[in-house]
Amino acid sequence: MQQFSVHKIGPEIKIAGVDLSFTNASLFMIISTFAILIFLFLGTKERKIVPDKVQLIAEMFYSFVAKMISDTAGSKAKPYFPFIFSLFMFVLFCNMIGMLPYSFTVTSHIIVTLILALFIFVAVTIIGFAKHGLKYLSIFVPSGVPAVLLPLITIIEIISYLSRPVSLSVRLFANMMAGHTMLKVFGGFVISLGILGGWLPLSFSVALTGLEILVAFLQAYVFAILTCIYLNDALNLHH
Amino acid sequence: MTIPEDFKTRLKIAKSKIRKQVQSDSEKRGSFMGSAFKLGTELVAAVAVGTIIGFILDSWFDTKPWLMIIFFFLGAASGMLNVIRTANRMQKEE
Repeated sequence: MQQFSVHKIGPEIKIAGVDLSFTNASLFMIISTFAILIFLFLGTKERKIVPDKVQLIAEMFYSFVAKMISDTAGSKAKPYFPFIFSLFMFVLFCNMIGMLPYSFTVTSHIIVTLILALFIFVAVTIIGFAKHGLKYLSIFVPSGVPAVLLPLITIIEIISYLSRPVSLSVRLFANMMAGHTMLKVFGGFVISLGILGGWLPLSFSVALTGLEILVAFLQAYVFAILTCIYLNDALNLHH
Repeated sequence: MTIPEDFKTRLKIAKSKIRKQVQSDSEKRGSFMGSAFKLGTELVAAVAVGTIIGFILDSWFDTKPWLMIIFFFLGAASGMLNVIRTANRMQKEE
């Protein structure tokens, strides 16, 4: 579909055989990054005691993420607040900017979400080993399991650990892509049924747009909260 | 004429109560939907990862297709484990 196609903007850039050309995906990532920067700059510029609308929303985002981290990962995860906050804002803005007509949804491409998820996975693993050393491997060995079952359970636990980045990335990608495809399908029905029958799919389309905005927020939230949960597993070893 | 005044304040209190209830209801529904999306992919991802691991090990040890079949079931088991863990976590949150 046209809205999912990646095309180059400007000249082709190749460095050591790797295609690093500037595409519309990179453009929309930059747009969402700048949108976040401008929004947070406006929100923190004046620092009124009685906040105006922008400042209020910016502070709401801050306290929302801060509460999410302290609820799921405890006080030990406080140093990772900047990372989780920027992750949440980036995914949220990519999803929301993707909802605008004629724009490109960066998160509807699995390579983007997979790289985000793999980065989180590698980072959490490194944090776990840095904090606990080789004792971190004990998350693969749950306590209270009979010795006969232990090899089997360990393999299952390892598969479960390795499936984290996959489920994290596929969830975001599938939700965004399915939603946009559904909107496109209903939009196509409006055209093909014409002025007489097109009203029903049109009303569906309007309702689905609302649902998609909910999903866009929800998926950013789920992405961030699962990062917190994985971080919690790495910081506090208890099984 | 104190009755209309009294009625107005009571109406205000009742309205604010209703608004609060509606808000919390819609918030709850949002989080339920989030967890529903979460559970489905959790199961599928583990099965996929298990099968891929089996496939790679098969091409290493030249034992096609046995390890893939075994790891498919191990993946399904770990998928169920993931789902149970997520469900437990969700219950604890409530």
